[in-house]
Amino acid sequence: MNPEFQRNLWLELTPARLLLMAGFVLFLLAASSAAGLPGADLVSTALYYFLVVLWGTRAAALSVIAEIRERTWDFQKLNAISPFAMTWGKLFGATSFTWFGGILCLPFILIPAWRGQGAAAATAELAILILQGVLAQSVSLLTSLNLIRRHHNHWRLDTFLCQITGIVAALTSIGVGDLVSSGPQAQAVPLVWWGMVWDAQRFQFFSLVIFTAWALVGCVRAMRLELRLTNGPFVWLGFLAFLGLYEAGFESWFALRVASSDLASQAGATRLAIADLALAFSAYGMVFLEPKDLVHIRWLIAQARSGRIGRAFLALDCWMLSFGATVLCALVLAVLLWRDPQSIGGEAASSLVLPLLAALGFFTRDIALFVMFRTWSRERGDFAALAALAVLYVVLPQIAGAARSLLVPQLTAPAVPFAAAWTEAALLWAWTVIRVQRRAG
Amino acid sequence: MIKIRDLVFEYPGARALDGVSLDVAPRAITALVGPNGAGKTTLLRLMAALETPFAGSVLVDGLDTRKQPRAVHARLGYLSDFFGLYDGLSVQRCLAFAARAHGIAPELVQQAAIEAVQSVGLGDRLEQAAGDLSRGLRQRLAIAQALVHRPGVLLLDEPAAGLDPQARRDLSRLLLDLRDKGMTLVVSSHILAELEDYSDQMVIIDHGRVAGHAGLKGAELRIRLAAPDPRLKDVLLCQSGIEILRADAWQARVTCQGGAEHRAALLAALIGAGLAVSDFGEDGHALEELYFARLNQSGETKH
Repeated sequence: MNPEFQRNLWLELTPARLLLMAGFVLFLLAASSAAGLPGADLVSTALYYFLVVLWGTRAAALSVIAEIRERTWDFQKLNAISPFAMTWGKLFGATSFTWFGGILCLPFILIPAWRGQGAAAATAELAILILQGVLAQSVSLLTSLNLIRRHHNHWRLDTFLCQITGIVAALTSIGVGDLVSSGPQAQAVPLVWWGMVWDAQRFQFFSLVIFTAWALVGCVRAMRLELRLTNGPFVWLGFLAFLGLYEAGFESWFALRVASSDLASQAGATRLAIADLALAFSAYGMVFLEPKDLVHIRWLIAQARSGRIGRAFLALDCWMLSFGATVLCALVLAVLLWRDPQSIGGEAASSLVLPLLAALGFFTRDIALFVMFRTWSRERGDFAALAALAVLYVVLPQIAGAARSLLVPQLTAPAVPFAAAWTEAALLWAWTVIRVQRRAG
Repeated sequence: MIKIRDLVFEYPGARALDGVSLDVAPRAITALVGPNGAGKTTLLRLMAALETPFAGSVLVDGLDTRKQPRAVHARLGYLSDFFGLYDGLSVQRCLAFAARAHGIAPELVQQAAIEAVQSVGLGDRLEQAAGDLSRGLRQRLAIAQALVHRPGVLLLDEPAAGLDPQARRDLSRLLLDLRDKGMTLVVSSHILAELEDYSDQMVIIDHGRVAGHAGLKGAELRIRLAAPDPRLKDVLLCQSGIEILRADAWQARVTCQGGAEHRAALLAALIGAGLAVSDFGEDGHALEELYFARLNQSGETKH
């Protein structure tokens, strides 16, 4: 047996804990039944999510965070367990107690489903419930593996953040089928993805399988970094390509909801725009989560300066790759809009080039903000950057909106945001690079 | 066994190690000493392939820690200064896990665990939970976990911190025993008197650089006579494996390259030559004197 899995079982599944969990689950279900609460399947489903998603994400996050807190992680890193075995040993071992409770709930969920909708529906529900649990827990573990690389001691905050990301992943997976077929057009519009009509539940299932697989791959890769192995950029680039293609497939859904946009009237440009948005979200997510190690950034700069571009490229962080992919995708879109506006929505399409490039400038500035705040504080830099973004995107527009009508109506000219965005981005990056170099040892 | 060349390691805003080069001899105990914040722990972590250097290289048994970190991990045991244990597991399960995690085949786990507990004297505590052990016994268990796969290299960061005198003495004996069995040990410590008991080589780290190193096997011996005898220096010159630092008719200070047997032979030769030896022994402060002398030299060089 995987020694890490076995160690977790020794600690998690003691006879006393098993008895306690079984008693807790059965008592709660019996009490809800006696109290006349809605069907046992609803209560047991809620209990399942409480145990496997809410508690399970915490257990998954603590599987690594607690090792650092208890100072056993160095010992673990020096053992001979492979990154893959370490990952699944932690993922399913540290959460085994919550899975035990969740599995006790399953008969109360599945038997009514079987009786009501048949064996196929019950099997599908079982698969979805398990996949949602694995997805939530693996996203939580993945987040924790990224957060621990930042080397600070806010373990409660880190655990909470991991839980949040895991729960959001589970909720998203629950909602994805509903989301794409809901709203006023829900009855009229089937779920269309890359021109193919899908059954919503089936699409949800396949999405769940694929995203769970990616989350597990992410966990193994993050574990490799912890075990001092290096990751090349290609798997992350593959994920970005998948993410872009997956999101771009929802072009018809997007076109319906932003039908007033000129861009939305053409599938190709819309798909590229959606893919770019997804890439930008991945860049924001990863630049927040990853450590942005200043020594590593200096090392990359040193490699690039000495002409070892390939070596530097192989060592790029995920946020850097996401940033580069977003910029590349946006530039391709801008060129398409500029060179051939007729084929992608008429003359008006070319008028989108400047706003698009302005948005790219603001995005470039935002990424610089995260790195710059990191040079000030390892502990609070990321949250300071989030606060700065909130000021820039929420507070300042309110103030500017009031001022613009009174003082500077000329600021509405399209070239102004473009110039402002790139000036800010250039200044922030220059300042950031100077600060990174100044913080050399 | 361990070759370090031009090693540079940086934390943001601070260069922890700056061009460190040194060789750690095989089957010997090397002491890493230096003031707080000198870079000893960082150096040990780099040797253990737990950190990646900014520049330079660390080779452990010919393996580059940057290129083959997992192969390096398999060859060594490491005990950090603030180590942890799985407090909910028994001693036996802690060691069984450590053995399995280090790739020992399931059928050999029991034997490896028993050998490890016996080597640290925990044989009667197998069923006790790690969380119930005293500080000294926890230290022994942690060392047993680091030893269970019989690594060629053992790195110990402040292993005697918090131990009582008896536990320290036991630790010294254990380290000497491991060295005699062919293991290479690197020990970082502040307690110079304790290092003197078991170290073969001392490396002084200061401000992220090697400030000096010295072999300790040639620890200083003082020899005093009950009555002056001009033959003292001549008799010492006839002995092999010693270097005379100072000698007159009353007393001498020499460095002795050998171990206890060599010192016994030297004493026998002095007495056999008819010298009235009244005092013969190691200078208890030799390491401390050497440490401060090298540290001062390093400081003067820098200024």
